[in-house]
Amino acid sequence: MNEARYLYCIAEGNEKITLGNIGIEDSEVYTIPYEDLCAVVHNCLSEPYKSEDNEVVKKWAMAHQKVINTAWERFGTVLPLGFDTIIKGEEGITPDENMKKWLKDDYENLRQKLAKLKDRAEFGVQVFWDPKIISEGLIETNPEIKKLSEEIKSKSKGLAYMYKQKLENLLKKEMEKEADRCFKDFYEQIKRCVEEIKVEKTKKLEEDKQMLLNLSCLLFKEKSKILGEELEKIDHLKGFFVRFTGPWPPYSFV
Amino acid sequence: MEPTKDTHATLVDLLDRILDKGLVINADIIISVAGIPLIGVNLRAALAGMETMLKYGVMQAWDEKSRAWEREHRKKTLPSLVEGEEIALKVFGSHYYSKGIYNAWKPGYFYLTNKRLILYRQDFDEITFQIPLEEIKALVTREEAHFVKGKKKQVLYLIDKQERVHRLSAVETNQLKDAIVQNLETIGLSLEESPVLLEFEEIPIDFLIEGEEVTHRGKKVWYLAPASGIQQETWRPGHLYLTNKRLCWWYDFERKLVFEVPVDRIVSVNTEMRKTSGLDSKKEKMLDVVYSLNSAKTIASFSGGGQIDEWQEALNRIVSGKISEETETCPQCGKPAPAKELLEEGCSSCGWVSPGLKQKTENREQRTEKITA
Repeated sequence: MNEARYLYCIAEGNEKITLGNIGIEDSEVYTIPYEDLCAVVHNCLSEPYKSEDNEVVKKWAMAHQKVINTAWERFGTVLPLGFDTIIKGEEGITPDENMKKWLKDDYENLRQKLAKLKDRAEFGVQVFWDPKIISEGLIETNPEIKKLSEEIKSKSKGLAYMYKQKLENLLKKEMEKEADRCFKDFYEQIKRCVEEIKVEKTKKLEEDKQMLLNLSCLLFKEKSKILGEELEKIDHLKGFFVRFTGPWPPYSFV
Repeated sequence: MEPTKDTHATLVDLLDRILDKGLVINADIIISVAGIPLIGVNLRAALAGMETMLKYGVMQAWDEKSRAWEREHRKKTLPSLVEGEEIALKVFGSHYYSKGIYNAWKPGYFYLTNKRLILYRQDFDEITFQIPLEEIKALVTREEAHFVKGKKKQVLYLIDKQERVHRLSAVETNQLKDAIVQNLETIGLSLEESPVLLEFEEIPIDFLIEGEEVTHRGKKVWYLAPASGIQQETWRPGHLYLTNKRLCWWYDFERKLVFEVPVDRIVSVNTEMRKTSGLDSKKEKMLDVVYSLNSAKTIASFSGGGQIDEWQEALNRIVSGKISEETETCPQCGKPAPAKELLEEGCSSCGWVSPGLKQKTENREQRTEKITA
């Protein structure tokens, strides 16, 4: 079990301590110090963790996160690593030596990153809308659409069908415009409350909930309240929902 | 608004972060699978894909529809059974079907009953293969290359009492084999122990004449068919058979003998490295059989890769008239005996007789029976 080191994060501090058996598969998590940095690791075999069983993998992912959180609370600032980052040994070089060599070579870079992330946390912000509610609103407020939907009522059956198609196309176009407009507005609104922002890919969710924007935001931990207030405004808009998650270790900003 | 960190609701968020992000390390010192942890790909597909889809009913609707279609279109799901017949095992599998140029694994469900082994395609309500249990003589499993490159699959060779070989394959081939053995035991039958599976492709040999016996056969052999009409001479695929009477070549596509020469007309046999065609083909070993019919000498050329030497050897034995002294081993017990004796009288130690001889004896017996009747 001494072949490799599973690396959770790099933290500030030069203590050689153990954090207890909180790692993946209850492994003992400890620190390897170098100068004023330390690597948070557990001993493992030199092969990646993999499993077909999603429950097992979920558990591992949770453990990974838990260790980083613990280190985060303990040391203040951390540079988190992704799942399955395993430092290996080589012929005549132990994994610990490899690790220290890397810490040494990358020392300046790591220090800079830590300084940038000091006292900050990452928050996830996702804004959704209900396309049904939004389109109903558009029919009421958009004069062109309103006119068209009025006209349909006076048309014969065949013509009404044609007009309905026209209306649908127009509505689709207006919805896209509206989504663009909302994206810009919300993005600006949120950007004012955070230090750094990353636009993530939107995802498909349910039928009645469309994701408009998906952001990772970096800000001072204690400033999350200001962001929360801003998001609350968006959440109160008719047909809009906000998901606000965090604080996360700054995965997206390392 | 307060941020949530409830692990359940934010699992997808967490996974997005720990699978795709985090500090990047110089790849020299870390273990990775092509830079991407395989686990991440699996997990993402499973969690973000299926779970959400199922949760919000996308799959369910689709599932319902296809199930309804299935119910409608597959009312019949069982092959017709005879009275007193009971199904002991049902397993998905396939049977190698080969007729003419059509060769394919035909899939379906194997039904093992107390009377038969059936391969049934429920889509077409069709039995594509069946054999009464008492007709099964022996079973051999062999690992063969799967059509998916690098994969292996277990093939079950079923040899029937007529010595015909059937290639079968199932999801759990060994399970099928064990079940057949067990079923046979319960009805008091047993299989031949350690049967010998010959290495050749199965072709029904119905061209043999009275008293004729195949003495050598092999894998695919190409024959340089002579020019006829506007057709130039062409290499054609088929199978070569050497019998105690003739050398014959069976044309796979037309399913008939297109070349035959009595063995006593073969003058000489040679091999040579030649090109198969005038183009940029590689040189291959050819077998030239010189024979004389009506005092005119003719050459027939064959090619067939590595087996050409074997053929030359087999034919040379004929040419030099050595067949009677040739020693062979009994295919059942392995005892060495003169080939002629084995073929014409059977094995003296275990009682094995060749299928052709058996047939002959049976025919004779039937005839005798008729006469006495």
